[in-house]
Amino acid sequence: MSEHAGWPIAGTGAVSAIGRSPAEIFDSLCTGTSGLHPMRGFERSYYTGDRLYEIDDRGGAGDVPGRATAFLLDAIAQALAEAGLDERLGDIPVLVGTGLRELRSVELWARGGVPYSAGELHFGTALRERFGATMTHTISNACSASLYALSMGTDLLAAGAETVVVAGVDAVTESMVGIADRLQSVAPDTVRPFDRNRMGTILGEGASAVVLRRTEDPGRPGPGRVRGVAVNCDAHHTTAPDAGSIAAAIRDAHRRAAATPEDIGLVMLHGTGTHANDAAEARAIRAVFGPAPEKALMTAMKSMTGHTSGASGLHSLIVALRAMADGLVPPTLGLDEPIEEAGEFRIVRDTAAPADLALAQVNAFGFGGVNAVALVAGRR
Amino acid sequence: MSAVVTGVGLAVPGAPAATDLTTHTAEGAAPVDPAARIGKKGLRYLDQATRLALCAARDALNAAGLMTGDARLTATGGGAPAVAAELLVPAESVAVVVSSNFGNLDSVCEVATTIAADGGTRLLSPVYAPRLSSNVTASEVAIRFGLRGPNLMVCNGPTSGLDAVHWATVLLSGGRARHVLVVGAEPANDVVRRLTGHEHPLDGAAALVLETPAAAAERDAPVLAGLDGYVRTGGLAGCISALGGVPRAWLAPRYAPADVLPGVPRHDLEDRWGPASGALGVLQCAAAVGHFAAGGSGPVYAVAGTDTDDAVAGLVLTAPGGVVTGNGVGRA
Repeated sequence: MSEHAGWPIAGTGAVSAIGRSPAEIFDSLCTGTSGLHPMRGFERSYYTGDRLYEIDDRGGAGDVPGRATAFLLDAIAQALAEAGLDERLGDIPVLVGTGLRELRSVELWARGGVPYSAGELHFGTALRERFGATMTHTISNACSASLYALSMGTDLLAAGAETVVVAGVDAVTESMVGIADRLQSVAPDTVRPFDRNRMGTILGEGASAVVLRRTEDPGRPGPGRVRGVAVNCDAHHTTAPDAGSIAAAIRDAHRRAAATPEDIGLVMLHGTGTHANDAAEARAIRAVFGPAPEKALMTAMKSMTGHTSGASGLHSLIVALRAMADGLVPPTLGLDEPIEEAGEFRIVRDTAAPADLALAQVNAFGFGGVNAVALVAGRR
Repeated sequence: MSAVVTGVGLAVPGAPAATDLTTHTAEGAAPVDPAARIGKKGLRYLDQATRLALCAARDALNAAGLMTGDARLTATGGGAPAVAAELLVPAESVAVVVSSNFGNLDSVCEVATTIAADGGTRLLSPVYAPRLSSNVTASEVAIRFGLRGPNLMVCNGPTSGLDAVHWATVLLSGGRARHVLVVGAEPANDVVRRLTGHEHPLDGAAALVLETPAAAAERDAPVLAGLDGYVRTGGLAGCISALGGVPRAWLAPRYAPADVLPGVPRHDLEDRWGPASGALGVLQCAAAVGHFAAGGSGPVYAVAGTDTDDAVAGLVLTAPGGVVTGNGVGRA
């Protein structure tokens, strides 16, 4: 099978601050429900910015280890169930993209009182225990990790694998929140993607998973197809993104899917709400789509989930599948005055917009200049 | 034959050359001095695993003939660094795959404990910011040498180094890169000692350049070993049986029972160099290159992980002669 036809997606799963399934998350996004909340797991008085997009699962008694692992297992189990796949995975590859691994558990261990072992740092140990999976890979590729893992998954299918599970996961670490708090002179009030008055990003958490097949089960049509995934690296600067390199990744994704900008009905923006990301992302899109893309609607879901880091790329992809199935694009919150570079983009604001969509582009860019862009088609 | 090794670089105390990996030990060896190896400039704000990775990576790129120059930093600030080196192939054609489990743990723990001790973030040093993301080593390697292909950070437990080599071969066979720099790096520090319970973990890095046989032949690059037959299974016995056949030598994981591959010469690198975690698999491949360079025959198995870990990974390495004639000696 050529990559142009696309790899069938047989199941999806997701958890985030605004829902415990893809359907719940999509409904929250469409009704403009934000997951921003006073921080639950950390000591609020330590921080200027004391709100996060956390999953409320701790039960009120301080922080607990192993949360990222629990999110991951939840999302994968959902995806397997939708795909009708047995939970005993054996040698079916499971590729997990993550920014922060189980580093929150390491922090709790370092402060004393919580036992921890090196084997829990990567997710293979829990995946073996829960699903009997042995072909497991934890890829720590910052904020593009789950789309990077998706590219690796499609390469395994191209090399002959029948089924691949791809997932993304992150739980907020206190070290990352702390260093951001230290570096920001004013803490952002919320995530405002592509707004002139954006003040930076705020971390969220969650997990996302898809089951990919080499061939579709005719009796079980899935929600869509992965048409192509491009990955590259700026090799330029750890935190300053390179618009030229991002544009190259977008063009490569289009080439892999044999698509043109005119074919794309929806762009799921990376849209972190930082000055550097949103400006570079807008410039890269302009370079490929032109300054005023006529067809593509765009949206930035981090305005409601926060920056779910390693999980975010697949979060966006799963939302794109829902948007194409329901003919509805969730809005971007907090976007009052678009930045000049995105002034003529059709970014959905305020309320969800009905649209007939067949093909979506998903952007994910990470610390260190790791870029990943996926094209995904809806069920047709 | 999925890929060939065309360059090796080491930053291992007591092992200047790949042939030393199965004959010397770290005992009494002086630590690697990254500043002496690759210049002091630009190292100050990097974590130890990244410093070691840069040294090993530079040597591997030079050895493979992908780059000339010592890659010392000549100027910093603003955009990409100015480096005393020239890449001899297109930047987009070189991917980077780094394996490390413990690289940034000390930075994460330092920041988290400082916040708790001070009751706030006031005392945090901004230099820690980049180190809190686990992919800092892979991205710093790409930035220093200007490598713009796919960039992967593999943090996959005891098998991570062999897994990284596997993903390099996937990038090659999928056409995403023509050359892949693979690095395994681990630091020795108090956090790692506490977590692993070992007093002398490896403080070092190993690097390989992998290419398709065609890309290597086109450049007239030296072929040091061939790679074939990666497996990742639930246990040691299953791994050895999946690799098939009998190797001429094997790079064994710790605590491998004596009745596994009886009579086959075995090398337990962690016995010589200390627990190597994510660096082990890459170090094993470098040791296999040393084995072939010293006239040893193939195939050689590299195996990482034990029955108490989530999985055991194995890789077949073939002698360079076998690669050239393409006789597929590795698989039974």
